[in-house]
Amino acid sequence: MEQFFFWSLAVGLLAAATSVVTLRNPVTNAVCLVVTLVFQAALFITLEATFLAAVQVIVYAGAVMVLFLFVIMLLDVKAEARRPIPWPKVAAVLVGAAAVVAGVPKLVAAFPAAREPLRWSAQSSTFGAKELGALLFTSYAPLFLATGVLLLVATIGVVVLCRRDPGS
Amino acid sequence: MMLGEITLGHYLALSTLLFLVGLAGVLLRRSLLIVMMSLELLLNAANLALVAAARFKGIPDPQVAVFFVITVAAAEVAVGLAILVAIFRLKKTTSAEDFASLKF
Amino acid sequence: MIAYAPYLILLLPLLAAVAIRLFLYPFPRIAVPVSVGACLGSFLGSLMLLNAGTPAGGMAAPAVPWIELAGLKAGFSLVADPLARLMTTTVTGVALLVHIYSLGYLAKDPCRSRFFAELSLFVFSMLGIVFADNLITMFIFWELVGLSSYLLIGFWHQRPAAGAAANKAFLVNRIGDFGFILGILGAWSLFGTISFADLPSRAASGAPFWAATAVGLGLLCGCLGKSAQLPLHVWLPDSMEGPTPVSSLLHAATMVVAGVYMLIRVLPILELSWVTMNTIAWIGAVMTLLPALIACQQNDIKRILAYSTLSEIAYMVMAVGLNIPGPGMYHLVTHAFFKCLLFLAAGSAIHGCHEEQDIWKMGGLRKRMPFTFLVTWVGTLALAAIPPFSGFWSKDAIFAATYDRPGLAACSMAAGFFTSFFMLRMILVAFGGKPRSEGATHAHEGPPAMVVPMLCLAVLSVLGGILPISDFLGMKPDHPHHAWTLWLSLLLAVAGFFPAYHLYQGAMQDPLRVPILQAKFYVDEFYQRGLVAMQDGLGRLADAFEGWVVRGFLVRGSGVAARVAGQGLRLVQCGQVQLYAAVFILGALGVVGWLLGRVSS
Repeated sequence: MEQFFFWSLAVGLLAAATSVVTLRNPVTNAVCLVVTLVFQAALFITLEATFLAAVQVIVYAGAVMVLFLFVIMLLDVKAEARRPIPWPKVAAVLVGAAAVVAGVPKLVAAFPAAREPLRWSAQSSTFGAKELGALLFTSYAPLFLATGVLLLVATIGVVVLCRRDPGS
Repeated sequence: MMLGEITLGHYLALSTLLFLVGLAGVLLRRSLLIVMMSLELLLNAANLALVAAARFKGIPDPQVAVFFVITVAAAEVAVGLAILVAIFRLKKTTSAEDFASLKF
Repeated sequence: MIAYAPYLILLLPLLAAVAIRLFLYPFPRIAVPVSVGACLGSFLGSLMLLNAGTPAGGMAAPAVPWIELAGLKAGFSLVADPLARLMTTTVTGVALLVHIYSLGYLAKDPCRSRFFAELSLFVFSMLGIVFADNLITMFIFWELVGLSSYLLIGFWHQRPAAGAAANKAFLVNRIGDFGFILGILGAWSLFGTISFADLPSRAASGAPFWAATAVGLGLLCGCLGKSAQLPLHVWLPDSMEGPTPVSSLLHAATMVVAGVYMLIRVLPILELSWVTMNTIAWIGAVMTLLPALIACQQNDIKRILAYSTLSEIAYMVMAVGLNIPGPGMYHLVTHAFFKCLLFLAAGSAIHGCHEEQDIWKMGGLRKRMPFTFLVTWVGTLALAAIPPFSGFWSKDAIFAATYDRPGLAACSMAAGFFTSFFMLRMILVAFGGKPRSEGATHAHEGPPAMVVPMLCLAVLSVLGGILPISDFLGMKPDHPHHAWTLWLSLLLAVAGFFPAYHLYQGAMQDPLRVPILQAKFYVDEFYQRGLVAMQDGLGRLADAFEGWVVRGFLVRGSGVAARVAGQGLRLVQCGQVQLYAAVFILGALGVVGWLLGRVSS
């Protein structure tokens, strides 16, 4: 069962991701990205991280992608024109990718712990909001506060960047 | 090995592939909007690896990291898109090739 | 008490010089007697020293330690062996006579206190060379003597010729001193000592041939400079710009023979190499002949005598080269007598003709200055080595040693011929005939102060042959005496008089004109051209270096390098973000790959 879910979700994920990267219409790309994020959330659930799956859908797919779509509409971006595929660049990237992929089994072989199988069971420890919250507000409290400041700064930055000059 | 039990290695491989797809997008697409979307793919790949590590090691700390990553990614997207909008207002284009004015 | 005599002899003139320099410049009436008195004191001390101690033995005064490094000991000790005693007596005796002569010669000169101070300084320095017991203290006094010579040649410093001559003397001496220092250092490194007492034993234990040759030639350089031998002889004729007493004392009797004295002191080193000895002998032989030829065409009376001095010193140098130091010293002493006499007589003639030095503007002095005429004849006969005058005995001793060296014999005996020739020429033109100028018409003898020293020296020139100098020094030569050297040299010397008589008797101008001799073999011009060429070459080399290396390579080169590097690095900035990102990723992948490699291995 684990295998079925994993493989189907994996294929879907990769397909959606590839669409994001290859299609030409920006709105299509955005929608494909949403699909990718949902598949990602599903994979989180297979890993028994249910809280994070929810956060992913709400924040990422819900807020960030909406922002993307708003900007697409604002800028009125048209579909990109067809152009010849830059084979040298593509070839370079593929070669690099192949090299990286070849390294993964090596990495896996170096860590015996990576061979533990995935088993779902009723006694699996799921980390829910309670556990995460406890950690967040005790061990990682400073980081949490810093993140708050970061969001504040980002907000101010966005407002400043998007101001129109008076009179234009 | 591949078709047996699902292991941490599988998840890591998947994360790597997702990362590579995102990388291809960042390096090869001309429209800056698509580049930013590919950046999101990169971040998601990292999140996937972290959560897999949390599950197979049995510790909650990587999940806290994922939490932070998502937050920061959101902030980053906001600021990035704001910059994009500002540039677009100036140059009326979002193609990466038109922004090479820091040439020698 | 007698052991301290050398210090007394040495320091009296120094005290006089210092006293005059510091206090007595404005009081010539006090300064002059002080200087003369100091010289007298030194002379008396030398006489006492001469008789003390055993003739062949040595005597060292107590030493003042100075340099004591590992391997180098140089103290201020004064050696008083027979050689030193003989030399100091000669030096102080002749110096005393010249002091007295200067009383008359410079009686009206306003700067005479300075002259006597410098003269006393010279006596002190010269005695320092005589008494030095190691090469380093000798070198110190060597340089002091050079300084005194510079001061005295340029005594009339308002005259540019005098200043130039003083400079020339000092500089040419310096060149010789450079070789001298190298020789001293070489001697120290080769033999481990620079003390004259230790040298014979150390040298006898042998040394590598070419090293010893190099050291010997280095020391020879010092002699070439100080004693004005080839190729550093060019300063001596010019030094005649100084007052005549200076010419007679320094540049005839004492200073110029310091080189010969030094060579005799270091003879143990020189003997180690036949190359050195032959070089010395041949330089000596050639230098007897060349100046004699040049003198045949000179017209300044002092210059004639200067070239004659060069020739006579060469006889002494040749004697050293033939390893007969005894006859060499013998000739040194007799030459001091008659050459000093000749210079004083020339000074008297110049003074009498009211500062006229050209022999063609004198004339008829025989009747007006008979005493000077007489002593000039005495000096000439001694110089030409006619028996029974002193010069004959000493020169014959040297000729005797050339019995198996025909080349040396030929040169030196031919020189004798020409010596007679030009000396008779000088006498006939300057003293014979009719007066040829205003000054000569009103010539008169000098005051007694000038006459008495000349008289003493004349007597010594006649009788000096009696002195048993070689025996006194313990340096009697041990080779057989062949009669033919004596007769041949005598024949040539006498023969030299006849052509001179024939050509110059009653002449009003010089019938002979030999341009190359008049131009002194163009040596001065050669040096001048050579120096200029060298300066020019060095200048060009420096300019090329500065132009190419400094300006071009270093300065412009660094600029060009910076620009090229900049332009190369510029290409990295392409402005395309994705290219930057790609390079960044590549780097990151590289690092990760390396880490993986380390982890898995």
